[in-house]
Amino acid sequence: MNNHKEENFMTTTNNAAEVQPGSCPLSRRNFVKGLLAAGLVANLPCGLLRPLQSEAGEIVYGGDYETFRNACPRNCYDTCSIKTFVKDGVVQFIEGATESTFTRGGLCVKGYGYTRRPYSPDRIKYPMVQEGRGSGNWKRVSWNEAMERIAKKILEIQDKDGSLLGMALSKYSGNFGITNYGVEGMMSSLGYTTRLTGTPCWPAGIDAQNFDMGDMWCNDPEDMVNARYVILWGGNAAWNSVHSVKYVYEAQRRGAKIVVIDPLLTQQAAKADEYWQIRTSTDGALALGMARHILDAKLYDRDWVMANSIGFEEFADYLRGNITVEWAAKESGIPAANIIALAEEFATAKPATIWLGYGLQRHVNGGATVRAIDALVAMTGNVGKIGGGARYGHLRTWGFNYHALLQKQPEGAKGVPGKAEVKGDFHFAGGDDAAALSYSDRSLNINKTAQVILDTDDPPIRMLWVACKNPFSQDFDRNKMIKAFEKLEMVVTVDQFFNETVAMSDIVLPVTTLFEEWTINASYWHYWLSINERAIQPMYEAKSDIQIAATLSNTMNELRPGSCTFPTEIDSREWMIKEFNQGIYDLFGISSWEDLKNGPAKAKMHPASWHDLKFGTPSGKYEFKSELAEQWGNKALPEYVAPRKQNNKYRLLTPHTKFGLHSQFVNLDWSEEFYPEPFVYIHPDMAAEKDIKDGDVVRIFNSIGEVTTTAKLSTVVPADAILMYEAWFKNNPYNVQNVVDDTSSDMGAYKTGQPGVAIHDQFADVAKV
Amino acid sequence: MKKQYAFFIDAERCIGCFTCAMACKNQYHQPEKVIWRQVYPLDEEIYPYTERAFYSLACNHCENPTCLNVCPVKAYYKREDGVVVHEQEKCIGCGNCIRSCPYGAPRYNPEVKKAEKCSFCWQRIDAGLKPQCVQSCPVEALQIVDLATFDKPGAVQYPPGFPKYPKLNPSVRFVLPRLPKIIGREDI
Repeated sequence: MNNHKEENFMTTTNNAAEVQPGSCPLSRRNFVKGLLAAGLVANLPCGLLRPLQSEAGEIVYGGDYETFRNACPRNCYDTCSIKTFVKDGVVQFIEGATESTFTRGGLCVKGYGYTRRPYSPDRIKYPMVQEGRGSGNWKRVSWNEAMERIAKKILEIQDKDGSLLGMALSKYSGNFGITNYGVEGMMSSLGYTTRLTGTPCWPAGIDAQNFDMGDMWCNDPEDMVNARYVILWGGNAAWNSVHSVKYVYEAQRRGAKIVVIDPLLTQQAAKADEYWQIRTSTDGALALGMARHILDAKLYDRDWVMANSIGFEEFADYLRGNITVEWAAKESGIPAANIIALAEEFATAKPATIWLGYGLQRHVNGGATVRAIDALVAMTGNVGKIGGGARYGHLRTWGFNYHALLQKQPEGAKGVPGKAEVKGDFHFAGGDDAAALSYSDRSLNINKTAQVILDTDDPPIRMLWVACKNPFSQDFDRNKMIKAFEKLEMVVTVDQFFNETVAMSDIVLPVTTLFEEWTINASYWHYWLSINERAIQPMYEAKSDIQIAATLSNTMNELRPGSCTFPTEIDSREWMIKEFNQGIYDLFGISSWEDLKNGPAKAKMHPASWHDLKFGTPSGKYEFKSELAEQWGNKALPEYVAPRKQNNKYRLLTPHTKFGLHSQFVNLDWSEEFYPEPFVYIHPDMAAEKDIKDGDVVRIFNSIGEVTTTAKLSTVVPADAILMYEAWFKNNPYNVQNVVDDTSSDMGAYKTGQPGVAIHDQFADVAKV
Repeated sequence: MKKQYAFFIDAERCIGCFTCAMACKNQYHQPEKVIWRQVYPLDEEIYPYTERAFYSLACNHCENPTCLNVCPVKAYYKREDGVVVHEQEKCIGCGNCIRSCPYGAPRYNPEVKKAEKCSFCWQRIDAGLKPQCVQSCPVEALQIVDLATFDKPGAVQYPPGFPKYPKLNPSVRFVLPRLPKIIGREDI
């Protein structure tokens, strides 16, 4: 080994060089043969549903791989660019793309599990039909039979109701590939249907930032290194955006102070200079208390405010008349002296930035909280600055054609009379064609999926198509969801694993993993863009969402010509190419999509959002006072909105686990190795009061349901809160949605069509079993 | 000093994300329970907050490896760069190394009835690449260093919770985790 190579290992910033054909003479595990054999067996009826036996010894890095570009399609800040190493048609291992300065050669604990996913013995391999929901009595059927059953049901609904409003779609972010919007396209190609719209994720904050600035637009996360002061507020980057943490560290190394404000002592909090244990849902009070002190101490940026905002005087009057630091201290639990110190430090560090986590706004006052924090960043002149900004998210790199999404209804299709735009956080393209003026889809709140299924009649929802979503694991009030599903005549779920929603379905269709199909992936956080190539042939009988749509269209048109406009045969690669346009090419400085085969590209955007100070608001300025907010039922000023009234003994918090994203990843056997079982975390004081010891099995319960799991005593959680991480374990009935209700948050309807949901405004009690 | 590759574990930067452990599995596809790299949360006596500080540990590629010394069939050898290599094709699965290593690095693979352990990704090293775990770390908390030249201030060989075996001289160095200043609630 020469010295040059050696230096590569020793530096901390330089990453792996290109792979060289291997010099390694070692024999490799007979893994590939095992997989190929499994593929053959899989083509026989009643294929394997058990783990494979690997017969050979170690596999090692052998060199000489074929490489492909992939991208993690999950709903995650990081949207990692992946390099996939393939040999003999099998994914051998993956790495982060070294070309991306964000991913920088690495993935996360979830992402590295992808190597296993296509070959997991638990994977859904064929279309299957369940005789009796929840019975587990699954029977393999052909794609033809599955499609015929589905198509006949669709035609039956059409004939009975005269429309397809009785067919509903539950889809969100299980796969954020651009061509996966072909699921919505498939629905449109059948007729006017019912759509569960909105988002459980981030809508209150989106509305808040739109009211304040006219869009949601964050600085480049890589620009965080330029901040002199960083507040991470209500977000746990160390678990939910591992690749952003290095920028926080670098800012710290350059002298910035890092403060984490969170009800929980998160992993990110443990890495901060200061951690503030705020009372849940009082973040708005803390922000406004800081604003009041900054106002009184004349530490706000008067010139910036005068030149670039409207309504500041009214905001200042509101602060003087209604807010004091002492009140904020009482409300938030944070001592007044600390609030004053933080306010002064933040206001005088230039530039200073706040990263607003999504957990912050999953409250009945979440939108108001985001507006109060935005105001803090704006009044200190930190909006539009490199190293500054109220960082929340952006969709500036998502300007694709949405070719898969935009499909026409069949001639003569009927729906809800009149034109009504179906909104959503990622629904960029409205249908403007003439037909859309006569009828619309029926839009219902995704965050109240169970309730709207129960309440909706004339026509009722008879059939539900579930794709890129797991309602039983992620939607709220699971017991109500069980009742809602009883009302449905047919449930079709498209998935990769036999999860809780599949268990409550009549038909399941196997969908491809990221390695098996073409698409494109952009991030709502960083500025990079990746293509996702087909690295391996689809395993078993899996098809992508758009191939499923084409297959269904084929059957629909055989049974009733003209009943579905979706093309009956499509080339997935061609459909990926159709999503690109000159605007995307210009933004990313590429001449063709094929440039992305050489690695991800970064948008040629200024690192500071709103750097030109031309805001998207009606006034064109930052709006401390927003009439638009008022029109949408909120206060015009970023006034404090009280938290949800406590309705049980303790607060209940159910954030993400680091091992999974909602119901994905934790079920995989590779993940079980490191995260085999769930726990509830409770403070030793609470445990003493309830006579609970570490390791005891406990019930967490409230008026809508209960969860039974093992207790861990910990001081990462305050004494008045119960902590459980959201996850789906394949061999454990643990499900936090048993005890999370569907109460709405305060904002979201303006930009995403429906209000958000107060996931972290939940309450419960705990007792030893 | 002779060249000796070592793992440098910066627990101050480590976020306990388990990425390194899964990256290893991604490269070597070890069967269930055959874990080459594991991420261990520190006991509350060492760090008071549950599962908030960690050591990511694998084989320590000791200067004087017990595994090598106790192996009856010479299935282990030490490379010039200090990496301790286990040649599984020579292994008879006697378990001597598994019982002798105080750090628990060699594991028994029940499918092949032989031992195996972290190879430091020597094949990747020879191909000019970093070990998979090192490359995967999103915060550069896990690094490959050469002890002949390593001089990180404040780094220690035996941090609290890591067993001390000077005779083996494990090729691993640590930086300890820190606590943030905590502003607690006044109302509870």
